[in-house]
Amino acid sequence: MHKRNRLFVSIALVYGLLGGLIAIVRLIDPSLIPGNVPRAHGHIMLLGFILMTIYGIALHVLPRFGGFPLYSEQMADWQLYLANAGLPLMIAGWLGWRDMLVMAGGVLTYGAIVLFGLNMILTVRAGGRGRALHVQ
Amino acid sequence: MKIELIVSGSCPFCLEAEKVWRAAAADHGFEFSVVDIVQPEGAALAQRLNLQTVPALLIGGKLRAVGVQSPEEALTLLLPARQEAHDRMQQMGFAFSRDNRWFILAAQAYLMLAGLGLLMNGSFLSDNAARPAFLHLFTLGFMLFMIYGLASHMLPRFTGNPIREGAWPWLQMGLAHCGVIGYVVGYLAGRHTLIVVGAVLTWLSLATFTFRVWPVLWPEEA
Ligand code: HEM
Ligand code: HEM
Ligand code: HEM
Repeated sequence: MHKRNRLFVSIALVYGLLGGLIAIVRLIDPSLIPGNVPRAHGHIMLLGFILMTIYGIALHVLPRFGGFPLYSEQMADWQLYLANAGLPLMIAGWLGWRDMLVMAGGVLTYGAIVLFGLNMILTVRAGGRGRALHVQ
Repeated sequence: MKIELIVSGSCPFCLEAEKVWRAAAADHGFEFSVVDIVQPEGAALAQRLNLQTVPALLIGGKLRAVGVQSPEEALTLLLPARQEAHDRMQQMGFAFSRDNRWFILAAQAYLMLAGLGLLMNGSFLSDNAARPAFLHLFTLGFMLFMIYGLASHMLPRFTGNPIREGAWPWLQMGLAHCGVIGYVVGYLAGRHTLIVVGAVLTWLSLATFTFRVWPVLWPEEA
């Protein structure tokens, strides 16, 4: 398993533990963490824990199911950087009531989503680069 | 074990070889990939193997043949790998283990319970206590349990590293069930302490899962 994909799954676990922890702190005393904590928690869990687990596993398994190499390793590397640059900004924005930070983080996070989507489509699509090269 | 076929775009026989090997790999359940010699991965392989000819066939990273094989020849070349894969499968278990089967089954039960929220709430968006309760029946009961069952099954197979078994998966499962049920019942019954206890138990279950899969992802160098 590629190191980047193992990083995705490992970082997802860290986000899962972190997201659970801030939810518990909020339940015990809502004044301890400032900002929109439920929203931050929800996105740490969905974008950090669930989506990054899916990223790591899908990047490994989908090319293998298709029998083609991943369309682009670089795109997947940038997906890792963008996803992990964007989410902390979004969290900081929600906890600090700074909508501009949420937006900036959201753009980066969305960039990762698009890179992933394109990479997967180009990998799985019959007639994609993997196949086209030998048919030409 | 992985079958790789090194090809180049300008080679007329490569397509034929790809057909034979794709079919053979699919028939016998091997991973198959085509590596282009002009790509960095392909060039690195060719250099390592001192390769002069394409198509070239690698089984488990070792050069086994060049040129185009008939389906019968392909089968013969695959025999040792099939034997090895068979032995490995028995060691690792191909089907879901009992703990992972129970995680997946429980996920489906929680999904159906979460669905009842539609009937009880009448809509997805409400602001009463049923919102976090049914939301987490879905996110914890279904999504988290699916990840537990599927990731514990797949990650050891992707990496070839063992996952912590024994009592650990059952501890993780017990904590998760008590946690989700405590959390959900806590909201529905308006019992704050129960919500907190459920939240903490769920978190401990996630911590247990992390403890189990970490050495799968990052094994200690022997
Ligand atoms: C350790 C486990 C977890 C605990 C203790 C926990 C706790 C909480 C709490 C206390 C809230 C606020 C409820 C409210 O007052 O409205 C909440 C909201 C939420 N949680 Fe969780 N949760 C956990 C896991 C998860 C997971 C795994 C996911 C997603 C996969 C998730 C997704 C959400 C979402 C989407 C919200 C709503 C956020 C919003 O209203 O904007 N949670 N959670
Ligand atoms: C680029 C990625 C994303 C961005 C920038 C983003 C941004 C936002 C923003 C700004 C809100 C607040 C909306 C409001 O004020 O009413 C929100 C709410 C929410 N988002 Fe996201 N989000 C992203 C991805 C996701 C994903 C992937 C999921 C689920 C898998 C998700 C689930 C939710 C939920 C459940 C809410 C709460 C809705 C509510 O409480 O009514 N988001 N998101
Ligand atoms: C059988 C299918 C499903 C049922 C019955 C169901 C039911 C519910 C219910 C009852 C709620 C609480 C609504 C409220 O705020 O009162 C909810 C919220 C939510 N569901 Fe589902 N759900 C289903 C499928 C899904 C799927 C497939 C996803 C995403 C992958 C999802 C994501 C969410 C999210 C993120 C929220 C929180 C929205 C918010 O914070 O306002 N649900 N769902």
